[in-house]
Amino acid sequence: MSTNSAIVLNQKAGDADLADPALLKLRDLVYRISGIFHAENKFYLLALRSRRRMKEIGSNTFADYLEQLTTRATRDVEMRNLLNEITIGETCFFRSQPTIDAVSKIIFPKIAALPAKQAVKKVRVWSAGCSTGEESYTLSILFLEQIVAKFKDWKIEIVATDLNDDSLAKCREGLYAEYSVRNLSAAMRDKYFRQEGNLYRVKDAVRAPVKFDRLNLQDQPKMLFMKGFDLVFCANVLIYFDSAAKKRTVEHFYNGLVPGGHFFLGECETLFGIYDQFRLVHFPGATGYYKAVPGEDAGGKK
Amino acid sequence: MNPETSKMLRRRVSELGSLPVMPSIVQSLGTCLSASPGGPDIGRIVELISYDKSLAAQCLRVANSAMFAGRARVQSVRQAVLSLGTQRIRDIVYSCSLPQMFAGGAKHGMEQSTFWRHALGTALVSQHLGRLLLVCDIEKLYLAGLLHDIGILVNSLLYPREFQSVLEQAEASETPLCEVEQEILGFTHCESGRVLADIWKLPADISDTIEFHHHPSGDELDGEITWVVYLADVLCRLRGLGYGYYEAREFDLAAEIPWQALRKRHPEAAAGLDLARFTFELDQYGVEVQTMVDSIFSSVTVSH
Repeated sequence: MSTNSAIVLNQKAGDADLADPALLKLRDLVYRISGIFHAENKFYLLALRSRRRMKEIGSNTFADYLEQLTTRATRDVEMRNLLNEITIGETCFFRSQPTIDAVSKIIFPKIAALPAKQAVKKVRVWSAGCSTGEESYTLSILFLEQIVAKFKDWKIEIVATDLNDDSLAKCREGLYAEYSVRNLSAAMRDKYFRQEGNLYRVKDAVRAPVKFDRLNLQDQPKMLFMKGFDLVFCANVLIYFDSAAKKRTVEHFYNGLVPGGHFFLGECETLFGIYDQFRLVHFPGATGYYKAVPGEDAGGKK
Repeated sequence: MNPETSKMLRRRVSELGSLPVMPSIVQSLGTCLSASPGGPDIGRIVELISYDKSLAAQCLRVANSAMFAGRARVQSVRQAVLSLGTQRIRDIVYSCSLPQMFAGGAKHGMEQSTFWRHALGTALVSQHLGRLLLVCDIEKLYLAGLLHDIGILVNSLLYPREFQSVLEQAEASETPLCEVEQEILGFTHCESGRVLADIWKLPADISDTIEFHHHPSGDELDGEITWVVYLADVLCRLRGLGYGYYEAREFDLAAEIPWQALRKRHPEAAAGLDLARFTFELDQYGVEVQTMVDSIFSSVTVSH
């Protein structure tokens, strides 16, 4: 094949890919294994990312790739590679505005109104699988920027855990490239970061409420100690677990939350068929999970 | 509904110089699509659309718009019906004809494009949800979704200034519209919509949906069309097809009365429905509805 016709073929790949029934099957497989769902408007992303993996292993069609992911001996390894590709580059500061709005406009005011909270005035958050720390520091900045002014004397404590020592070292370093802070205005960058050459380092006020720790989510005895959280975040981590491990881990999250607490997965992940104690709740543009207060009327959450 | 409110609204509506008119094509096409067991009568559909020359022209324009790019260019109404299918044609016909009901009427109030985006979104989501839950009259669900908020248009016509403040206050306080309507106007678009629905002599279950879609009781009084439209309305407002402002609300849909009523009636279908996945799927409608509404409103502006 000449270079020219290869280019033409590549350009045309887009539309043809999206119409390929094997891509639909691939979407359903990814959903079944990981809980990440690609709606039709995200198909192009799935196609693009699968294509990247396919090029790597020399697979030419989605049908063939699907076979590699289901029947070959290397299927588990390849699924992991694909999931890595799907979630790559997902992390940056203020990544999901709908989730941020839900926390600051809806969930936090609700927590602050709870009678049981008036004596302590503290909100406890767990970022499980915190990767390189962007999510944890985002929550800290959000608290400083929007919540502290409205709810005087309230404090936040963010427990950020990860299995990977390199990631944790980066968290503690708190030094980020411009790409990571692209969603922040210049004013916000100046307020919460110190510029060091091309890089941005989080200021002490942002760092203070965050505590980083090494934790394996599959370590049952240690998980039992994670208690008393108002909010738990765990994005794109459960996707790598088998269904028994997923269920076990989510159960720990459930038990770690106080009644009335909320749990957030990654933007397109769901808990359907994994764990049914949580209630699915909808916020504008975001979905989350809610641990009901015992005796709470099923229709009482409006 | 409070009989006094109803009487007052009826009087105000009857005093309007030009009463909003329900485009006849909406009902005749609806009947045509839902009645025939052997599939819809294509000839009759083509006839209905072709009867209104400007509507036919608009349908062709939308059918050839970017949304359907890649398909063959259609030259006639018959071709459009055959190549796009009756469902798509129905969407296009309804969306092209409905905005004209109130065209040029309200100078204040909700942007017409915002209104119809929500109406069309609710119609599509109602239909999709109804299909998954095995609710019987899908065609009626579509129409009920499309018309559920007509009271908003009535309010814009009857009380332009007051309704403008309703919108501003709702947006500023991030509160659902009907709560602010109740506070400022003393009634909601559910009640004014009912008055118009009665004047239009809409089918009883559609009129009930218009009246009860914000406060369904879950009993036979409002029925499953109301329940489905209630859920679709909330989902649209949560996924970017709402009234164009942030509503600071948390919804536990499974705990809502309409969902529980639907689950009771269709237990298997409801148990199998992955609500989170369904929600993500809705985002694809966002693009579709926006394209259609943009296309319609660019032409409405030109024709006036």
